[in-house]
Amino acid sequence: MTFNNLQKPLKAVSLAIIVLATSVLLAACTTTQTAYTCSVSLKSSLASSIRAVESKLSNGCEYSFDNYFAQLLDVAANNPDPDNKRQFSDFLVRVSDQGVISKRQAKSTYNRYFNVKFVSLTGDYNTCSQTCPVRSRVLAEMQSELLDKELGLVRASEDNTSYYRADLLLKEAQLVLEATCRACEAGNL
Amino acid sequence: MKSKSKLIIVCIAGCIATLITTSALAKPTGPVMRLFPTTVLEDIRETSEVAEEMENNIQDVITRLDLQQQLFNESQCAGADEDPGCERIAKQLGATYLEMLNIMTTRLPDMERAVTNTRNSLEKRLRVELGQKSTPTSLQNILLGSVSKITAEDDPIVLRGRSGIRLSDRFKQYYKLVATRQNGANQSLAVIASDIYLDMDEASRLIAATQEEISRATLMEQLNQSFGQITPEMTEVVNGVKSILFGEAPGETPIASAPLLADETPFVSPLEI
Repeated sequence: MTFNNLQKPLKAVSLAIIVLATSVLLAACTTTQTAYTCSVSLKSSLASSIRAVESKLSNGCEYSFDNYFAQLLDVAANNPDPDNKRQFSDFLVRVSDQGVISKRQAKSTYNRYFNVKFVSLTGDYNTCSQTCPVRSRVLAEMQSELLDKELGLVRASEDNTSYYRADLLLKEAQLVLEATCRACEAGNL
Repeated sequence: MKSKSKLIIVCIAGCIATLITTSALAKPTGPVMRLFPTTVLEDIRETSEVAEEMENNIQDVITRLDLQQQLFNESQCAGADEDPGCERIAKQLGATYLEMLNIMTTRLPDMERAVTNTRNSLEKRLRVELGQKSTPTSLQNILLGSVSKITAEDDPIVLRGRSGIRLSDRFKQYYKLVATRQNGANQSLAVIASDIYLDMDEASRLIAATQEEISRATLMEQLNQSFGQITPEMTEVVNGVKSILFGEAPGETPIASAPLLADETPFVSPLEI
C-alpha cells in the first residue's frame, strides 16, 4: 500500500464530510425559512388578510393562530365595517372545519368578541353551586370580556347597539347575581 | 252495531286530533319563573300600607324637629348653655325628639315584620327560581331576554340606587312594576325581584339598627331633658329615620333603562351561543 494508494479513499471520505456538512447547513437554512414563512404582516383589507392567514394556516403554521387572530382584529379595527362580524364568523367556521382549532374554541372566540352574551357566564350546573362560590372571579372575567367585546363589536364591527346591550347585561348580571347568591347563602345557613 | 263502534272510533280519533292540534298551536311559553306569586305581591302591598301609616304619623313630628333645629342653629344656641331662650328651644327640641322615638317604638315592629316578610318570601323565590332552577347560561338568556324585549316606550325599570323617594311610594312603585309586568316579559322580573330583595335586606338591617339605637336614645334623652342638651346622637337617629322613610339625597342613575333599538336585522352567526 503506497501513499498514492491511500489518497483515493481519503479524498472520498473528505468529499463525504463536505457533502454532509453542506446538507446540515442547508437543513438549518430550511428551518429558518419555515419560521420566516409563518410570520405575516397584515395591512390590507380584512378579506385579503383572512385569505393570507388561511393560506399560512393550511401550510403548517397552525400554532400561530392566536397571533394571526389578534392581527386580524387589528386590521378590522382599522377598517371598521358591520360586515366584519360575518367575515370573522365565516373564517372561524372554516378554520375549525379544517381542524386548525376546535369547534368549541371557534365558538368561544367568536362569542367573546362578537356576541352580546358572555362566554364567562356559562355552565350547566345551577347558579347556586356553580357561579356563587366564584362570583367575584366570574364578574371580573365578564368585565375583561366586555373589553374584548368593545374591540370586536364597537371598533371592528361598528355595532354600538350590541355593545350597549352587553354592557347592560353585565350590570344586570351583577345585580341579579348579588341578590341570588345572597339568597343561596341564606338558604345554607 | 258496526256503525256505532265506527262512530266511537271516529269520535276518539277526532278528540285526539283536536288535542294534538291544540297543543301544537299553544304558545311556546318555556319555563315559567314564579318569582312573584300572589303571596309575595301581598307582602309588598302590605309593606307599602304599613310604611304609609308610619310616614303619616311621623311626618308632622319630623317637620317640627327640623324647624326647631333650624331655630336652634339660627339663634346661635350651640354652646350658649346659660341663655334661658336657648335652653327653652333645646328642651322643646328634646321633647319633640322623644315624641318621634315613641312613635318609632310603636310603629317600627310592624314595619320590621312587613319588610322581613317581603324579604324572606323574595329570598326563597330567588333561591329556587334563579339559584337552583337556573344555570349561568339560562340566567344570561333570561336577562338578555329582558334587555332585548323592553322597548323605549316601556316604563323604564327602576332599580336600586334611586333615592329621595318615600318608602311607601317605593313599595307602590314595586307593586305596580310587578303587577303590570306579571303577564308580560317575565324576564325583566328577575331584575326587579333582585332589586326589591336587596333593598329589603338593606331596609331590614337599618330598621334593626334603628330599633337598637332607639331604646338607648330614649333613655339618654330622658336624662338630657333635665339639662336641655342637643346631642350628636339625636341628629344621627333623626337622619337614620329620615333615610329609611323618606329616602336619601338623589344621585345615582338607575342601572337599567331602555336599550337602543337596532334598525336592521342583525347578523346571526352559526357560532352564537
